[in-house]
Amino acid sequence: MMIRILALLAILVLGLGAVPAMAQGTTASPSLADERAVQALLRGETVHGRITIPDQRAANLIQPEGRKWREFHNVTLAWVGGIAVLGMLALLSVFFLVRGRIPIEGGRSGRTILRFNAFERANHWMVASCFIVLALSGLNLTFGRHVLLPLMGPEAFTEVSHWGKYAHNFLAFPFTLGLVLMLLIWVKDNIPNGTDIRWLKAGGGLVGHGEPDSGRFNAGQKGIFWITVLGGAAVAVTGYMLIFPFVFTDVTGMQLSHMIHSITAVLLIAVMLAHIYIGTLGMDGAVEAMTTGQVDLNWAKQHHNLWVAEELAKGRAATPPDTAKAAGAD
Amino acid sequence: MLIKRSEARAGRQRLAAAYAGLSSGGLDRRAFLKQAGVTGVGLSALGAIPLTTMRPAAAGPVNHAEPVTRVKNICTHCSVGCTVTAEVQNGVWVGQEPSWDSPINRGTHCAKGASVREIVHGQRRTKYPMKLVGGQWQRMSWDAALTEIADKLMAVRQASGPDSVFWLGSAKFSNEGSYLYRKMAAFWGTNSVDHQARICHSTTVAGVANTWGYGAMTNSYNDIRNAKTMIIMGGNPAEAHPVSLQHVLSGKEQNRANLIVIDPRFTRTAAHATEYVRIRPGTDIPIIWGLLWHIFQNNWEDKDFIRQRVYGMDEVRAEVAKWTPAEVERVAGVPEAQMRKVAELFATQKPSTLIWCMGATQKTVGTANVRAYSILLLATGNVGSAGAGANIFRGHCNVQGATDFGLDVTSLPAYYGLDANAWRHWSRVWGVSYESMVARFDSQTMMETPGIPTTRYFDAVTMPVNAQTGLAQRDNLKAMVVFGHGGNTVTRMPEAVKGLEKLDLLVVADPHPTSFAVMSERKDNTYLLPICSQFETEGTRTSSNRSIQWGFKVVNPIFESKDDYEAMYRLCGAIDAAAAKRNMTFRMQAEIFAPLEVIDNRPTPESILREINRGAISTGYTGQSPERMKLHMQHQDKFDLVTLRARDDAPESIRGDFYGLPWPCWGKPEWRHPGTHILYNTNLHVKQGGGTFRARFGVERNGVSLLADGSYSQGSELTDGYPEFTTAVMARLGWDAELTAAEKASIQAQGGSASWATDLSMGIIRVTMDHGVMAYGNAKARANAWNLPDPIPVHREPIYTPRTDLIAQYPTLPDRRAFRLPHLGQSVQNRAKDLAPNFPIILTSGRLVEYEGGGEETRSNPWLAELQQDMFVEINPRDASARNIRDGSWVLVNGPEMPQGKATRMKALVTERVGPGVAFMPFHFAGWFMQEDQRSKYPQGADPIVLGESVNAITTYGYDPVTFMQEAKVTLCQIRAA
Amino acid sequence: MARMKFLLDSDRCIECNACVTACKNENEVPWGINRRRVVTLNDGKAGERSVSMACMHCTDAPCAAVCPVSCFYTTADAVVLHDKDLCIGCGYCFYACPFAAPQYPRLGNFGSRGKMDKCTFCAGGPQEDLSEAEYIQYGANRLAEGKLPLCAEMCSTKALLAGDGEVIAQIYRERVQKRGYGSGAWGWLTAYRESVAI
Repeated sequence: MMIRILALLAILVLGLGAVPAMAQGTTASPSLADERAVQALLRGETVHGRITIPDQRAANLIQPEGRKWREFHNVTLAWVGGIAVLGMLALLSVFFLVRGRIPIEGGRSGRTILRFNAFERANHWMVASCFIVLALSGLNLTFGRHVLLPLMGPEAFTEVSHWGKYAHNFLAFPFTLGLVLMLLIWVKDNIPNGTDIRWLKAGGGLVGHGEPDSGRFNAGQKGIFWITVLGGAAVAVTGYMLIFPFVFTDVTGMQLSHMIHSITAVLLIAVMLAHIYIGTLGMDGAVEAMTTGQVDLNWAKQHHNLWVAEELAKGRAATPPDTAKAAGAD
Repeated sequence: MLIKRSEARAGRQRLAAAYAGLSSGGLDRRAFLKQAGVTGVGLSALGAIPLTTMRPAAAGPVNHAEPVTRVKNICTHCSVGCTVTAEVQNGVWVGQEPSWDSPINRGTHCAKGASVREIVHGQRRTKYPMKLVGGQWQRMSWDAALTEIADKLMAVRQASGPDSVFWLGSAKFSNEGSYLYRKMAAFWGTNSVDHQARICHSTTVAGVANTWGYGAMTNSYNDIRNAKTMIIMGGNPAEAHPVSLQHVLSGKEQNRANLIVIDPRFTRTAAHATEYVRIRPGTDIPIIWGLLWHIFQNNWEDKDFIRQRVYGMDEVRAEVAKWTPAEVERVAGVPEAQMRKVAELFATQKPSTLIWCMGATQKTVGTANVRAYSILLLATGNVGSAGAGANIFRGHCNVQGATDFGLDVTSLPAYYGLDANAWRHWSRVWGVSYESMVARFDSQTMMETPGIPTTRYFDAVTMPVNAQTGLAQRDNLKAMVVFGHGGNTVTRMPEAVKGLEKLDLLVVADPHPTSFAVMSERKDNTYLLPICSQFETEGTRTSSNRSIQWGFKVVNPIFESKDDYEAMYRLCGAIDAAAAKRNMTFRMQAEIFAPLEVIDNRPTPESILREINRGAISTGYTGQSPERMKLHMQHQDKFDLVTLRARDDAPESIRGDFYGLPWPCWGKPEWRHPGTHILYNTNLHVKQGGGTFRARFGVERNGVSLLADGSYSQGSELTDGYPEFTTAVMARLGWDAELTAAEKASIQAQGGSASWATDLSMGIIRVTMDHGVMAYGNAKARANAWNLPDPIPVHREPIYTPRTDLIAQYPTLPDRRAFRLPHLGQSVQNRAKDLAPNFPIILTSGRLVEYEGGGEETRSNPWLAELQQDMFVEINPRDASARNIRDGSWVLVNGPEMPQGKATRMKALVTERVGPGVAFMPFHFAGWFMQEDQRSKYPQGADPIVLGESVNAITTYGYDPVTFMQEAKVTLCQIRAA
Repeated sequence: MARMKFLLDSDRCIECNACVTACKNENEVPWGINRRRVVTLNDGKAGERSVSMACMHCTDAPCAAVCPVSCFYTTADAVVLHDKDLCIGCGYCFYACPFAAPQYPRLGNFGSRGKMDKCTFCAGGPQEDLSEAEYIQYGANRLAEGKLPLCAEMCSTKALLAGDGEVIAQIYRERVQKRGYGSGAWGWLTAYRESVAI
């Protein structure tokens, strides 16, 4: 049941029509015991029997799905991952060349406004740093053999991969925790509304001029948020299936989990590359939101005019920069 | 591509070390040894016993730089007799190799045989003598243990007489050990000496011996390759004797033979059958008579064979006539068409063999079943030739030998029985006076009365002494000495527990504590003596096919264990000391061991075998000298796979011999009789292993001759039937003149007259063989065995039967007495009839390939225990779904004789192996008793890895009238989800 | 060089588990690791067959294809082996293997996998032939001693054959011709992309 839900999830959320349909292990009872006859009868499903040892996965005599999984891992995933990651890098490079860095209209005001408090930032960086390690150690499992192994030699590569595996397994927990916190603290600002439609219609201001109206998060950021939360959930759930082998599911379920996990992960990586780009290189004034938490008021007005208005109305006036501090307080 | 690296990098990730201690019971050898060392030191410090007496099983993988010695021994599990080839380095058994040269297993093993090396790792063995003190196990020295045991034995002897000690021996003994144990019991002065055959094939022995002379498999595993039709009925050799299936399946393939499996359960054997017949448990006789009905109806019987070699077949016809196809279907549930098909195949596509096991024997009608099987073979002329015969697969590795040497309450060694002639014969062999033997017993009557069988020992403990209604001997059993036997193997365990608790003394001499050590609530007077396995000593063992094989010692006994020979020698010495202390004149050691060679307190098996060779004349255990047996093991590769005969390229010393000199191997070793591959085979000369049916039952009955009619073994000078030979018959034929002076002197010395079996000079055998004549006579086989309760087998419903409607027509036997005890029949059946509705499922039992017998040894072997970790009950999907039982879930099972409110707990295995209304349980489990986990009662570190409920907590009353075989195959139970 | 293969004649296999314990015995395989196992199909029904299964040493082995650290290698005898010093216990070979051959001791974090263990065709591992190091990490190296895997050598009914693919296929072919029936060489289609033509 769990598997079916996951499969549905995979197809719905990620639109992956390409995931090979996994036949469920409903073993028919063939009257012949010839391998060929049995396999024909089962149409490529697992050949399952009775075994006395407690390890029931050993009761699967032949599971031809392994072949499909191999095809997926070595071909589909490599292509999808390669295209997603490299393609996104290429896309961003082109975008940067064409669009350049988006400046703050009217330059910095010198006045800042608190965009993310310390807790939000800490949580963001916890998730972000986990994600980077998870992504790199994950990509290593698919591509390292072709990229790093020839460079490092087998012993060193195993050392790296081994630690990578440990890191991948352990960091899964803070990563998941961070995702849950993100959901809790940011969900209220990420509920899609009418503004988003207008924002999207206006192309988000990335193309052309004239920034559309936006609240605390614009539709693009909301997209990132939901992709992170839902994609992260998919990666986390499937990841736990893999980290606790055979606790929740059988080998078929684990293969499927791995497929969802890896495809979601490479797509997430691609999206996160875009996120990182826009938050750092692509846009002037954005990175402070997650470093000091204070963004320039002009930047804020440019990209999140409705939020600024709301904040000001709440009386939480923009704070002057530290350099201007002496003016009144003391 | 990777290449081999140097050893320098080795060991960074050690496979075994990395795993150690991480899983339940999965200690590898190295880690275990480390721990064993630690515990060893701790214990020795506590007990102030020097560690030097503990022989650790130091180990390590094979060091390929150093030489490896190869030692051949025989597998200690089933009766097939597979050769085990051990690789030994520095006194440590480091590896097992295929024994390609053995004509029996040809390199192969089953799960048990392939894991026997673990036995001498001995992780969970009894490591030193122990006793229970207030419910706690206490370590002690051998001398202290034997002194205390002997003192208590003598106390029992003084107060209650010799018959109050029960000597339970073992099918795990070598032949020499079995013989010595029987001799020891005789010198103690009791016939209450028994072993596993009582509960596995005692009814086979009684049944076939009463039919044609000897109680053994007539042909061999290898000879099955010649069969055109095989019926396996009441046996599952694929699990119980896996290596035999090599011969069965090869025969099936090469001859395109019919393999018919008749069994209530669709076994792993049935999976390979060409025809599977499912019957209701307990309906063997209706099936056999039903087959014969078709055979007689269609004139498929072998009329010449019956005329020449069978007595009483007409009376069988009368009984068979009652078993019309309709009646067979009503009683056993098998349709006419299938019965007719099987009958036709068996009777017309010959040679045909009938293979059976405990499905036939462990019944209240066990002997009758065996008799019916034998009669089917006789009617179709399938006895005494290649590819035919009664291929009875016996159970333990030496159950045949232990039976032959009289670990049996009814006989002295070699089936001489218990009468005065038998005692006189063995007294002569032992070099003691008959009168001195009589003096060792309570009375001459007790000396000639069969003892207490192992199926009823606990009744003899608890039942009031009364010659008419209770136990017919001076006093109850007070002490029990158990060598190599499990306590969970006998039915009615709740009763057995009560019996054990009442004993004054319980001694368990075994490599393992066994279930005897834990199943009762005994707190004191219980001793464990560590005995080594047969791999740590030497001697011969007899396989099911009567081939005798010498096992060479692989390693010295591990820890403080001793072999059976030494343990018995020391025990006898201790008894003598205890007797002296009590100012009794009774002595054992000197007389028992006087004819034997004793080195370092250990009688040598060679000298024991030579004594056997002198005395076991009746069974032809006389030609198998230690030298010949060792030569056979040395030149195994020279024997033919199918005929078992040493080929022309064999050394002269064995050329022409049958492998293992299967008994009877007549006369003296130097006569070079080749042994008898196929019993009663008239196509061979008696000197070449030919034979006739044995004339054991006189020459005529009611005016009808019992001797063969125109049938005789090849080259016989007497071309008709003849009686067994005595000095008188010799004289009548004038053959006595051919006896040598020495032979005559020998006969004269034993009183002037002798039969062929008591003639210690073996002159009678020599002379008769020179005339091509069989000394034991040439008779007809008996279809009518008038001395048995049912001379012609008749169907009798099991005591606990779900078909209560059939009881009136086919009742069990009326209540009677046998073996010093009452034997209830109809009174129990009548009571059971009312209980049947509450227990709607038939419970039957059997073997698993991974375990053997009571299972303590095999459940202690991690390589085996891992494969079967839970006691289970097989239940049909229909019965399971009616009870909401899922495959693999826990269930509670109880039986009609269990204490009120009690139940056993085990896993359900929902399978169509069993039909609706039938459940199956393996019988190897112990250590849980009616939901009580008894693990804490084992001595620390000696508990088997896997424990479970015993089927015998559920099994019920029911005994074969001839041998007191227990009813283990048909009882009733109820199952519910836990 | 020979192309080593296993061939299981399911018309002979009786689920006696000798192959399983012979493997344990020869390689001192610890509890919980089952390099070889016997699976019964159609248990208790007509057509019941038991099949002993271990690593089949596939042609174009899936385990080798998917291993992230490329720790597998194929010997000159076409035996598929792996280097435990390189294995990281990721489990990918188990997902890809059609025969559930890879085994893992549970010793990592969260009960996850240790280094993979599997049937070596009694051919040891990358360590020096017949060295103690090789034995401890991988078990016996019978091929180096000129012997075949013990599971097949000890098979009670000679159902499990091991050796050069052509030789054992010929033995099987003759057997089927003699007896007139055969359920096929189990796993061959999956492992070697071919069956034994009768």
